[in-house]
Amino acid sequence: MTELNIPGTQSTPTIHGDWPAGVLAMQGDSYPENSFELFGQVIDWVERFLREEARPLALELRLLYLNTSSIKALMDIFDLLEEAHRDGLPVSVSWHYDSRNERVAELAEEFREDCSFPFAILPFSE
Amino acid sequence: MSSERELDLLVESLLSEPAYYGHPLREALARLQQQNLEQLSRLERIARISDGYQALAREQNLTLSERYHRQLRQLEKVARISDRYQDMLRDLNQALRDASQRDVLTGLANRRMLMERLREEELRSQRSGRPFVLAMVDVDHFKQINDRWGHEVGDHALSQIARALQDSVRGCDLCGRWGGEEFLLLLTETTLAEVQPLIERLRAAVRNLRVRHGEAELALTVSLGVAECRRGEGYSLVLNRADAALLVAKRSGRDRCVLAPAADAEDVTAGV
Repeated sequence: MTELNIPGTQSTPTIHGDWPAGVLAMQGDSYPENSFELFGQVIDWVERFLREEARPLALELRLLYLNTSSIKALMDIFDLLEEAHRDGLPVSVSWHYDSRNERVAELAEEFREDCSFPFAILPFSE
Repeated sequence: MSSERELDLLVESLLSEPAYYGHPLREALARLQQQNLEQLSRLERIARISDGYQALAREQNLTLSERYHRQLRQLEKVARISDRYQDMLRDLNQALRDASQRDVLTGLANRRMLMERLREEELRSQRSGRPFVLAMVDVDHFKQINDRWGHEVGDHALSQIARALQDSVRGCDLCGRWGGEEFLLLLTETTLAEVQPLIERLRAAVRNLRVRHGEAELALTVSLGVAECRRGEGYSLVLNRADAALLVAKRSGRDRCVLAPAADAEDVTAGV
């Protein structure tokens, strides 16, 4: 199974991993009851892609609220990307935020701090 | 080092001297020398193995400490980001609370907030025995303003009146939009007699307003019905009496303030 499709709920983001395109998209709020269960499969997907493919992997994020364990999971994913980047794999993150909510951009910047791979923080307006 | 070397050389030369062959001491010296060499190499092996273990432990310690510090950094970062998300939520909560209690057009308290404060004021007044006053304010001929000049001008007029009302009340009072062109003032710890200067100030402030629309300028007036809370009276009864007084003001030609009778027990029972 190379497709990753997790429909979003009020407390979990919509997650879509498109293996052929090399895109992992996540959007919405994230305060799941069991974030290990939710993000475990995402982390597995990313690990497998980076292990098996030498193609670019792009993360497309439109995340709003993250609870503490979701923040931890996201940082683990970024750590995987950082490691892959050091091994010369082409990875990137685009974090899209609503231009009316600058504070989400500030939070994305906090995440970006330790990342040396391409990490764009982009405003969008509805 | 050099003395050890000298001794080694001496022993070697003595052992290799043919003149001493067969001598009993030579045999003992040869065995002693052999034993010495074996112990030396054994000592070197022990030191090598021990150094190996030490290096291994040191390496392990470094890896652990590195991992520990990395995790500590990550934990600090998670906590920092998490705190900021919480700040964001708290502010959002505050904004939602404000939005649910404020009138969008005028920024004044809305009916929900007025009701909340009225309930509080009723309890406070019953506890302390000190009265409060409610003033119902209605903009005169507002429908005509809307019909003639349009809703935009009507909205503008309401905003200006709202500001004039807000500027006329004291800090402890609450001024809110009751609905449409009606405003409610909750004047705490005061009596009908005491609020009259405030009412006059407020009416003058509204009269001095000029709402511009292109070349035209329109003047505004308000009618008021004012009632004081009687001992033991609930706020809804006071509201009814203020409303009734407002109706009288309207029927008597507008642009005036009518005070609800202060000590008319029959009027209260009539309200029930």
